[in-house]
Amino acid sequence: MRIGVFLGKSLAEGGINLQAVANYAANLPMVEKVRLLGFRPQLEARALADEIGGDRLDRIVLAGESPGFFKPVFARAMMLAGADPGEIRLASFREHGAISDNDNERAKAIVACAVRGVPFSLVAVPKPTQVNPATLIIGGGIAGIQAALEIADGGKQVYLVERTGTIGGHMAMFDKTFPTLDCAACILTPKMVAVGDHEKIQLMTNAEVQAVSGTPGSYHVKVRRKARFVDIESCVSCNACTAICPISVWSEFDSRLVHRKAIYIPFPQAVPNSYLVDPENCTYILTKGEKCGACLKKCPKDCIHLDEQDQVVEFEVGNVILATGYDLFDARRIERYGYGKFPNVLTSLEFERITNASGPTGGKIVLKTKKLNKRTRVEEWVADPEAPPPKNVAIIHCVGSRDANYNPYCSRVCCMYSLKFAHLVHEKLPDANCYEFYIDMRAFGKGYEEFMERIKSEGTHIIRGRTAQVVESNGQLMVKGEDMIQDRLVELPADLVVLAVGIIPAPGTHELAQLLGVPRDEDGFFSELSYNGDPTYTERGCIFVAGMCQGPKDIPDTVAQASAVAAGVLRCISSGHGMDHLSSLALSEIEARAAQMEANPILVR
Amino acid sequence: MAIRVNPKLIDDLEKYGAEDVQNCYHCGNCSAVCPHADDVFVFPRKPMRHLQMGLEKKLEQALEPWMCYYCGQCSEQCPRGAEPGETMMSLRRWLISRYDFTGLSRLFFRSTQAEIVAVLLVALLTGAGALLYGFRRGDIRVYSGAGAFLPSSFIHVLDLGIALVIFAVLAINVFRFWRSSLAGSGALSMPWWLYLKKLYLLPWHFFTQKRYAECDNNRLQSIYPPWLFHLGIVAGYVTMLVLVMVFLDSLQAGPDIQWSVHAFGYLAGIGLLAGSVYMLRLRLTKARVQYQRSHGSDWIFLVMLFLMALTGMVQHLLHRSGWLVAANITYVIHLMIVVPWLLRMPFTKWSHILYRPLAMFFAGVRKAALQHQAKTGMPVGQMRQAA
Repeated sequence: MRIGVFLGKSLAEGGINLQAVANYAANLPMVEKVRLLGFRPQLEARALADEIGGDRLDRIVLAGESPGFFKPVFARAMMLAGADPGEIRLASFREHGAISDNDNERAKAIVACAVRGVPFSLVAVPKPTQVNPATLIIGGGIAGIQAALEIADGGKQVYLVERTGTIGGHMAMFDKTFPTLDCAACILTPKMVAVGDHEKIQLMTNAEVQAVSGTPGSYHVKVRRKARFVDIESCVSCNACTAICPISVWSEFDSRLVHRKAIYIPFPQAVPNSYLVDPENCTYILTKGEKCGACLKKCPKDCIHLDEQDQVVEFEVGNVILATGYDLFDARRIERYGYGKFPNVLTSLEFERITNASGPTGGKIVLKTKKLNKRTRVEEWVADPEAPPPKNVAIIHCVGSRDANYNPYCSRVCCMYSLKFAHLVHEKLPDANCYEFYIDMRAFGKGYEEFMERIKSEGTHIIRGRTAQVVESNGQLMVKGEDMIQDRLVELPADLVVLAVGIIPAPGTHELAQLLGVPRDEDGFFSELSYNGDPTYTERGCIFVAGMCQGPKDIPDTVAQASAVAAGVLRCISSGHGMDHLSSLALSEIEARAAQMEANPILVR
Repeated sequence: MAIRVNPKLIDDLEKYGAEDVQNCYHCGNCSAVCPHADDVFVFPRKPMRHLQMGLEKKLEQALEPWMCYYCGQCSEQCPRGAEPGETMMSLRRWLISRYDFTGLSRLFFRSTQAEIVAVLLVALLTGAGALLYGFRRGDIRVYSGAGAFLPSSFIHVLDLGIALVIFAVLAINVFRFWRSSLAGSGALSMPWWLYLKKLYLLPWHFFTQKRYAECDNNRLQSIYPPWLFHLGIVAGYVTMLVLVMVFLDSLQAGPDIQWSVHAFGYLAGIGLLAGSVYMLRLRLTKARVQYQRSHGSDWIFLVMLFLMALTGMVQHLLHRSGWLVAANITYVIHLMIVVPWLLRMPFTKWSHILYRPLAMFFAGVRKAALQHQAKTGMPVGQMRQAA
């Protein structure tokens, strides 16, 4: 067998040192000829055929960043030279991950495998390493919950770390899911309870990951468990403490539409189903025990310990899953929509709470009204179930998304949840008008297009054209936009304006990325290893991404990705391989294995 | 009627300044924010659509670009950086070149070098002519009266000659403007009395430029400064034009100059100088989005305007100070700017002094015609299509 190696170049500069690779290839067995083709070579089949015939080559190895480009002309040349055109092998640096300047060794190994006729991906598999069977999941939203259940049901230990007082994340705030209009809580809460009860899941709420050290397969994790001040085990959620607590602050879970107390439970189905104390607002904690303490006296189970301290716990895991979710684009940045200025301009999440049957208004869609806060003597805008309903609701799409001035990307979920809002408005307020101002309707998923048609048929006024402004004239909010289907400008009265705000990475994503050494993309989300091939892996071995923290996605996609991550983690644990893509074996090792495999093709590892 | 599509139109417009039209994804934010868009004239999005689709005929008929005074709000808020304001500006340039039958306008807008060469050529010829005339007939030490280097009677004849040429060209161009915009509106019938009824719009917009002032409705300032300076330039220019065309004798006269001519002359000069300096400063500092992308023709326009006002003023001051030789030399330089300035008027940005109020007039007629037709019972959809 006489082999010719041809090295092509697709970039003018940078990348692999081709001369070094060529020198290496020349010393490989059976290689008779090595030639550098140069940058964008003009190849002519007949001249190549003469070259092949002259050197009596019967196998060609084409190496380079994307050598497939040269394959057709070499195939013709092989035919003209009377050789077998099937004997052309490609050694693609790009495909096998030799991309940067210091991947010369990898490039050599790729060429060696092609010369020996052995698939590189079969040879260059890292050696099994010891993988700790425990898994850390950061974030207790639907992604974290799904992944935790899958892995724990597979029999492996899971540590689920959640920053807030309960798991459930954003999905727990939702009323209905699109396009099926299932009740979100009916899907989520059984899973939350299952997580809380699972013997293989150690749930750490009100906790944050402080440090992660070690190597793929064996990470050492430090978690700060912030003081909850209430004993989870003995608390029976009787509500006596909340009833007596004199402090009220805006409720984060209810999107700051109503107040909660300083000792509170985020929502009735919270897991763990226990109260917690907000140390930034509790009088007893702020005065170091000098004032208040009313809840201590009222608690029938003596489970409130206002002197509790933060704890740092440490443990070992093999894999880490990032499921930190998202935050909403700050609608205040677009001043012309008047969010923050007009009380009845709401974000989507605020509307979600208002329309939620377990929300502050019991699911009645109402206007925010002014109420006197008896304690602070300040008038505040709150969502009151007795308030009048809106007659006209305008929903504005793409707030902060698909906009070169803010976020250039599409947030993917806004179109569909806006349609869902329109449905809920029609269902709950049959007399109200609902207007949707959209740019492009992105109904991309299974059943979504049908859902859109359904909402249209329900009488929602769907207006193609982005709203430019929300203004107030004589106490009436007016929404200005172009209706380009009807070819006119519209200025509609709207009592309630819902801004379909876009998605941004959760706060702390940057710090976590630095902590773990996981890169982020230009929009700030965690980067997956490969968009198409490895959408759940990150560049660091044994660290996975699931859900919105990798990029905007809806609930079905999030759940699917979380399950995929669980499969990856379980694969990692049972195979004993860390998913350590970018570090490769030594060249000599690959060579030896390739030679071994060439001699015995049936042998795989 | 078959619709002709010109796929090259969007590339062609690039030379007129519209570089980012292709970015537009038609969200309609620009039309909604525009203080001048209304139900009949929905823009800038719609012309941008026509541009993307290459609907040359539609754009030729359009009055929308003339309704825009480039306040820049659309470009500021554009989510795609498609620069709708700049596109309207470029469409105005393109429309001027469409109205112009000579093709010079097209040449000048597409090539700033060509315009500079043309201006220099005319300037040199003017300078040579003036010097030739002056040295043969007059004395460089005499500014006015008998034996003057450049006597007002000679300049007067020159002025009238140039005016004749300009008016001839403009008359044809204005006719072409009318034919493509109003007469080309197809089904919409426009009785002659509608023109009479709306004729008042022509002087109204010419003298007030009121719509420019309205550009600021969203910023809530009491006076929009660019409008004020624009008004200064137009008022100054028109005053100066009247003085030069009608009262040149007294303007160029010696010490016994009429006080009224004197006062008007100074006021006009100040208006022109202040206006051109203000506009140049805006374009140099790129303070707002509408001044960030100046086309070559904008620079030529402003620089020539400034130099013209400056040399006119200097020449007058030299004359009053008794430095007559210097005054005469400045006069020649002044002429070297004025003559090309005047001659290029129908072909360049400056022609908007006429097209703008005309467009407002035409727009008024079109709106009135739509109302008239609504009364006569034509369905609204058909009406809009007709428009």
